[in-house]
Amino acid sequence: MNLEQQNTSDPHPAIEIRDLSKNFGDFTAVAGISFSVKAGETYGLLGPNGAGKTTTMRMLAGLSPASRGDIHVGGIDVVSDGRSVREIMGVVTQHDGLDNGLTVFQNLFLHGFLVGLSRKESKERAHEVLDFFSLKERSKDNVYELSGGMKRRLAIARSMMGSPSVIVMDEPTTGLDPQSRNRVWEELAILKESGVTVLLSTHYMEEAAILCDRLAIMDHGLILDEGTPDEMVERHASGDVTQMRVQPASLRAVRDYMEERSIQYREVGALVSVTGFNGVKADLSGVKDIEGVRVSTRPGNLEDVFLAITGRELRDE
Amino acid sequence: MNLAIPTPGVRRRSVTGLWFRHAVSFVRYWKFVLTWVVIEPLIVLVAIAFGVGKLVGEVEAVSYAQYVTPGIIMGNAMFHALFETSWNAYNRIDNDVYETILTTPITVTEITLGDILWAVTRALLTTIATAAFAVAFGWIDPLAAVGILLPAILVGIAFGALGFLFSAVAPHTTFLTLVFTLVASPMFFFAGVFFPISILPNWVEPFAWALPLTSAVHIARGFALAEFNASHVWSLVYLGVATAIMWPAAVYLLKRRLIK
Repeated sequence: MNLEQQNTSDPHPAIEIRDLSKNFGDFTAVAGISFSVKAGETYGLLGPNGAGKTTTMRMLAGLSPASRGDIHVGGIDVVSDGRSVREIMGVVTQHDGLDNGLTVFQNLFLHGFLVGLSRKESKERAHEVLDFFSLKERSKDNVYELSGGMKRRLAIARSMMGSPSVIVMDEPTTGLDPQSRNRVWEELAILKESGVTVLLSTHYMEEAAILCDRLAIMDHGLILDEGTPDEMVERHASGDVTQMRVQPASLRAVRDYMEERSIQYREVGALVSVTGFNGVKADLSGVKDIEGVRVSTRPGNLEDVFLAITGRELRDE
Repeated sequence: MNLAIPTPGVRRRSVTGLWFRHAVSFVRYWKFVLTWVVIEPLIVLVAIAFGVGKLVGEVEAVSYAQYVTPGIIMGNAMFHALFETSWNAYNRIDNDVYETILTTPITVTEITLGDILWAVTRALLTTIATAAFAVAFGWIDPLAAVGILLPAILVGIAFGALGFLFSAVAPHTTFLTLVFTLVASPMFFFAGVFFPISILPNWVEPFAWALPLTSAVHIARGFALAEFNASHVWSLVYLGVATAIMWPAAVYLLKRRLIK
């Protein structure tokens, strides 16, 4: 698909956010964040629900006025000239926002028309986009007949109708089954190749690790750290993680073992893990001797990073 | 509440784009919508003119059918405009259709204008359909039928704006029942559609005149009976003033609902 990149040599960062805050009454959803996304980059906001990711996305899209701070997209100020920003930016909101009264094709076609394409251009573009997302056979179907995965992909397809140079996606795969999720990831990877700048939010560390060139870890409306996925793991979760799959009857013995030696551990269901970050290696030699425990090790990942920074799990929020 | 999003000038392309979206959606379900545009008003018109008309005889020196026709047409125009921006607009709020539209270079102000323009279109469609029948039955003069397109447009604008005052604040669809109990029914029965307001008790009369539909019916009847005086100018002004109050209120409330 021809994406008609809009000026990749632009000196401005594709997205630049400075000291951005949002309060809803007494509640602070976003508490002063700054980051910038280079042209062609895929940047992720990783954090649990309530971290302020969606609010940040909505402020970018002009759906929510910022309480404080600046947002520039392609050098254009979102506050003073939101309309021009929305001409070069595609948005995938959290709820697909598809028009149930229309067909798959009409959803794309009319969106293209509203974005500012002529009827002819919008028709052609809709066919291109349908091709790319392999939704061609469904083009005459009502959107309410589509599966959740297809609806999501249609919403992403729709954001590309205006051939945007920047696409903002709020949790592109939340609620999708693993198969649909993989499919979206594949499609986003191809999109990335074409040079589009993508800002996405997610609470799946796997998604962030696979798709993002750089990411920011968000919690309670703040960015806690920022970098490439590898840098983040190197910085906060460099050692291996020892994982113990424990049978229920042996759980007590394992807990006692950890507590006697003051080893920090975390327990998710039947899985007990100990991180060996920053060179500190806990003595876990005795655990193997406890009956009903299987021990394995894995490298640290973004989830461990989140835990190391916040002291909390990314999942199960 | 901070609504400090500057409102840029209105772009015609945005408004016609929205109108086009509604038209496509409308055409998709034309078979069903057509029953409401054409058949429903025909039922009311025939029942009232042939049924009630037989009992009533003449009103203001014309047959009851001739008297009631412009009123019923205005009433139908009102129902269509109101329905579009209350029920249909509520669904567009609820299904995040407006939210999606706002991610394009379109503003809330333009959304209200596009939807009101579509409300006017629906009001005109039902007016043309019903007036055509009325002309065929000899209940309205063909020239007068063309004339009442003017108040039909005004009804589309005023009630298109009014519908938003409900959809923009509605917490759920049941709330929209109020559109009928508080607006549509009182207007339909007290706006001089079926009987002259002058026969109402004196204390009710001012209330009846305060209803925006009354002004529209008054103007439409002016065309039907080919009788105009200063009161028709006042009706025109009154509808204009009502719209000038309701439309900014609609923009404000819809902004509050969608941009937060």
